[in-house]
Order: sequence, then C-alpha cells, then structure tokens
Amino acid sequence: MKTVSSKRPPLTLYQARPESTLKVLAISGGWGVRRNLNEVGVHVGDSIRILRRAPFGGPLMIESHGTEVAIGRQLAEKVKVDVIR
Amino acid sequence: MKAVLVGQPNSGKSTLFNAVAGYRSLTSNFAGTTVEYTQGKARVDGETLDLIDLPGLYSLASDNPAACSSREFLFQHDWDVLVNVVDASQLARSLELTLELLDLQAPLLLCLNMMDEAARKGIVIDAKALAVALGVPVRETIAARGQGVVETFRTALELHRQRPFAPPIPLSYGPELEIVVGKLAQELREIRKGTTGDAGTNPTPWSVDSRPGALAKDRDLATSTAEAAGYPSFPPARFEALQLLQGDPNWLTRLGPERAATVECAQTEITQHFDQPPDVVVSSARHAASLNLFELVARVTKPRADWREQADRLLMHPVLGYVFLGLVFLGFFHLVFDLGQIGETHLMALFNNFIAGLGHSLGEHSVRFALARGALLGTAGAIANVLPYLVPFLIGLAVLEDAGYLARVGYLMDVAMHRLGLHGTAMLPVLLGYGCSVPAVLATRILPSRRDRFVAACLAVLVPCSARMTVIFALVGFYLGANYALGIYALNLAVVALAGNILTKIWPEISPGMLMEVPPYHHPTLRVVLLKTWWRLREFVIIAAPLLIAGSALLGMIEFLGWERFINIGLSPLTKLLGLPSAVGLTLVFGVLRKELSLMMLMQALGTTQVASVLTTGQILVFTLFVTFYLPCLATLAALAREIGWRLTAAAATVLFVLAITISLAARGFLSVAL
Repeated sequence: MKTVSSKRPPLTLYQARPESTLKVLAISGGWGVRRNLNEVGVHVGDSIRILRRAPFGGPLMIESHGTEVAIGRQLAEKVKVDVIR
Repeated sequence: MKAVLVGQPNSGKSTLFNAVAGYRSLTSNFAGTTVEYTQGKARVDGETLDLIDLPGLYSLASDNPAACSSREFLFQHDWDVLVNVVDASQLARSLELTLELLDLQAPLLLCLNMMDEAARKGIVIDAKALAVALGVPVRETIAARGQGVVETFRTALELHRQRPFAPPIPLSYGPELEIVVGKLAQELREIRKGTTGDAGTNPTPWSVDSRPGALAKDRDLATSTAEAAGYPSFPPARFEALQLLQGDPNWLTRLGPERAATVECAQTEITQHFDQPPDVVVSSARHAASLNLFELVARVTKPRADWREQADRLLMHPVLGYVFLGLVFLGFFHLVFDLGQIGETHLMALFNNFIAGLGHSLGEHSVRFALARGALLGTAGAIANVLPYLVPFLIGLAVLEDAGYLARVGYLMDVAMHRLGLHGTAMLPVLLGYGCSVPAVLATRILPSRRDRFVAACLAVLVPCSARMTVIFALVGFYLGANYALGIYALNLAVVALAGNILTKIWPEISPGMLMEVPPYHHPTLRVVLLKTWWRLREFVIIAAPLLIAGSALLGMIEFLGWERFINIGLSPLTKLLGLPSAVGLTLVFGVLRKELSLMMLMQALGTTQVASVLTTGQILVFTLFVTFYLPCLATLAALAREIGWRLTAAAATVLFVLAITISLAARGFLSVAL
C-alpha cells in the first residue's frame, strides 16, 4: 500500500516549499497527534497547500478544505507529504 | 424547553446566543468545578427558551478541558434540542462533528451560520438537499447580523413539540466498518441489559414520546445498527461502539476494564481488515462520509478575490508582519494612554472641586464628611481613574479580537513563545491577560496539555491586567509620563520571559507545539464590539465599582477612628523595606480585593489626589511595581485555583510575593543611584 509517486523519498510537511500543493501520506506520532490534526481538517490522503512560513523556524500556515491552520514545526515534522505541484 | 448550542470553535455559537439572549434577559456564567457554559433565556413567539452555549469542540472525542466540559454537559444533564452551529464556510470539515451528533439520535437541528462568509469563499450550499441527506432540519443564518436567528429557534421549538419524535438515523460509514460496529454495538446492548436489568435502555436527556414505532424505517442508511426497538437509548450503543473503537479512554473507563477485551477484539478485527489503526479507520470513514456529503450538497465556485489575502500577505509577512505588529501595539498603548489621560484630568478636576465644596458644607472634621469623602474618593477613582483607561482598552481589545488579528499574533509570535516554553496558541490567553486575568486563566483551556495550561496561566497572571494598567497609567503615566509607563511594561515583559524560562527548566516543554485555526478577517461589527466591551465592563461596574466605593468609605471610617495606625504598624516592616510612607500599608491590603483599590486607597490614605506632592518619583515607581507584581486579586486566585489547583496557586502566589519584593527592592536601589 505504500506507494510514493515521485522518485524522491517522502518529505515532511516542514521541508516542503511555500505555495506548494501536497498530499498527506502519513501522520506519525500517536493517537492524540492524529486526532488533533484530523480535527482541524488534516487527514491522510487529503491535499493541502502551504501558504507561508514564519521566519526563524516558526510555524507554517497551511490551507486544507478551505480552513487556514497555523501548524508549529514539531507537528509539521510529523506529517509525511508528497509534492503534487 | 432547553436548547443546547453545540459546534466547533469559532462557528458563531456565542454570536447566535447573544443575538437572542444578549439584551433581553440576564445571562449568567455558571461556575461549576469544571463546567463553564453560558446559560440564558430567550423569548421566541411568546415561548421562553432556555439556551445553553457550550464551549466549542471539534469532535466528541476531543480531550481538551473545554471539550470535556461540553461533553460532560451533553451526557450528564437534561436538555431537549441540540442546535449544531456550523461555520458554513467550513462545511466540509464541520460536518464531521455533525455526523457524530447524528449518531446520538437526539432531536437535532443544523444551523448553517456565516452564510455570507461561505458566499465570499464561493461555496454554494443546497440547504434542502442537506436536510434530506441528514434527516434533520437545516436553517441558514448570519448571526452577526441577526439574520435567520429567530427562524432557527422557531424550528428548535417545532422539533421539541414534534410527536412522535422520530430520531434521526446515523449516516453509514461504509458496510465493512458498519459490520464490526454493529457487532460491538450488539454486545454493548447485551452488557447494558445485564447491568440495568430492564430492556437495556438508558434514559434520554430529552423527554421521549413513549409510543412505539417512532422510527422512520424506509431509509437505506445505517438502520441495521440504529437502535433496534424504537426507543432510543442514550447514548446509543452504535455511538458508544464507535467511540470505543477509536480508543477513547473516557468511554473505556466508563465501560469498565473487565470488558476491555470485547473492545480489543473488535479493534483487532478492524486492524486486520483495514491494515490501519482503528482510530484512523473510524476518523477516515467519518471524514470520507463528510466529504461525500459535502460534494452532494455543495458546489465550490471561484472565491471572490478581496483584500483579505492581500492583508495577510502584509500582516503575516516575515519582516513587515513584525513591523506592523509593533506599530499596532504601540498605537494601541498610546491610544489608551492619551484618551485616558484627557479623561482623567478633566474628571479628576471635577471631583476635586466637588469634594472641596463638600468639606465646606459638612464641616472638615465630622463623621459624615469622613464617610462621604471616602465614598466620593472611591467614586472618583472608579469614574475618573479607571474608566477613562478601561473603556478605550476594552474597545481596542474587542476590535483586535473580533477582526481576527489576535490569531495572527499567535502565528507571528510562535518562535518567541517557544523561548518562554510555550507556543503560539498560548499567545491568546497571555494577551487576554492584559485585559483581565480571570478570563485569561480560563482561556488557557484551549491548550491541550496540562503543563502548557499551567505555564500559560502563570504568565497570563503575571502580565498587568487592566486594573493594574490603570494603576500604572493613573500613577506613573499621569505623574511621571508615558515613557515611564512603557518602561514598566517593558520590565514586566522581561520578567515574564524570565519566569517562562524558569518554569520551563522546572517543567520542560513536551507539547507537540502549535496547531491553531486562523480565522478569516471579519469587519468587526459595532454591535459585537460594544456587546463584548459591555460584558467585560459590566464586571467592573457591577462588582468592582461598589467594592471600590465601599472600600474607600471603610477606609475613610478607619482613618477617622484612627485605626489605620495598627494595620500600618503591622505592615511597617514591609513599607520600610520598600522605602514607602507607612500610610500606604493599608492600601496594599485592600489591593488584594481589587488592584484598583490600591490606587484609590492611596489617594485616600495620603489625603490628596495630588499624589506627586506627597510621594517622590522613586516612591511612585516602587509602589506601582510592587502593586503590579505582588499578588493577583482574589477573583484571579479563585480562577487559578479552579484551573491548576489550590496547592499550585498557593505556590504561585508565594513566588509572586517574593518576586514583587525583589523587583521593588532592585528598583529602589537602582533609582536611589540614578535619580
């Protein structure tokens, strides 16, 4: 079931470039992390977009299903993504 | 009839609530041990409705304290109709909670709020189709402008009167999952039969029509797993089965550890079948069902381009965003200070004339004059010292909050907050702390971890609330100038930073970090801003102002009788240590009730409103610093105790007292060299 469409190894959300559209491949971390992300509309299989990032290792702003969410570095590193464009 | 407003955070529940219950009748905050919901009454079509505004929750499985108190209300109190308030512009995501509520098979009404925002985003919703698909009534509202609000509650009344009550039928989460859920639900029913002894039905929170056959049968949904007989049992076994499959510890505890094996068995079945953990399977299934439903009832067209995106490009820019942030807060500070100073000067002059005139007519040394003068000084303090600063501050805070800027501040300040051992989400309670410590402490509930809540509550109490702000502005700002006042705020920030660092050393940060929804900008509406300002001001007018006036009169009496000597002598070691006149000792005692009291009492104790004529610059600064830090007021201590426990509160209060003495002494030493 684990297919990655690109040849590169999967990125974490934190490594992805701003303004890119991504597909969520997996969310590592426990039950709580998954649930919290699900609650703001980030699920495995969803496509999300990075809007901008704050300087000095600050949070990312992402958009998912029309909701804008600020997501801190540690959490963003738990989300594996694949670049769609 | 009790209608409960339930919905995800920021969906406009409170706006809806205020639209009908705001002015018409009194609204009280219920301060239970953990419950914090708002109750009010509204009149619709000549009927009185009891409205309950629950704290927002994303899902019935959420575990932050706000969600827990909502859940506790839903499962342990009586109510009649659930009004699920939904941000229509976030419909796809919001439907997940709706589906969970549908699983409760209770009288449910969907309120599509913020329809204007949805239209702006290009989301066109077919409310009729949604009502058919869900099997519950759907109403469209724009609560901020009062549109559709009465219709919503009228529908709630109709739903309540409906006989026989036909419980809504849950949407299917897919046949494969439903088989396992159905089996577990059946086992739960058996267990319930065994424990309750009757037909296995628990009483529902709403009154149920006892006639059988109340279930609609012709729907091709999850009928097989819906409650079999026609009497809904609460919570329905299917709902409980789903929560258990997700591994929710609350429901596991409720079920009892000896039955955990039954659940584990079902969980294993799911893991084997879907090759994923059961919680992921259930939430993915619900997510998929929501998205399908969304596609069925809504069309997404091109969003209207407007200033909002441009605004975020500027306001959240890596460089300009911070420049703007600085300007906003400096502008805010000056606005409050300048307006306040104008008000204070004029009003104080008025009161001074009046008191002087009163002395003439009553005689300077009569009991009547001592009492009247005390009460008047208290009134003067409330009106002339506090209100001129408090009103512009509260209006400004409400505008920033309502416009959606505070969430952006959280994003911008996330990195800085990590230095304090917190993250961007905690910015909100800390910022609210500048208003009043009590709501700030309560606002820490938005943080998911206990440790974060503790640290955020401590820091929120440490920043000067508006009561302390009036002391800073009316004493230091008024007599020494705005820069001194700014200096105190800067020093306070440094102390907050230090405290954050120390607390993090003691209790390291382990939280996963920031995860916060950033709402779209709203034009702050005058009504909402004024209503919010009034709610916060109300507390001052109703509770604090009488306390100020009575306290001031009491002090006038104590002075007339000459008793203040004993208290001041008792506190003289402290006042001597700080280099303050012993007359201020008493004011510090009263300050524990309300911080503004210290200011009023100071004028009373010194016998003049011209403080600068009696105290030196250094004394004014030391006094203000000590008042700013020494102890939170009683209301804050009570709020802290409720959130973090009495022992930690007592520890925090002790630390603050020591801190206040240290800072004041350091300031005294520094000033004696510098001035």
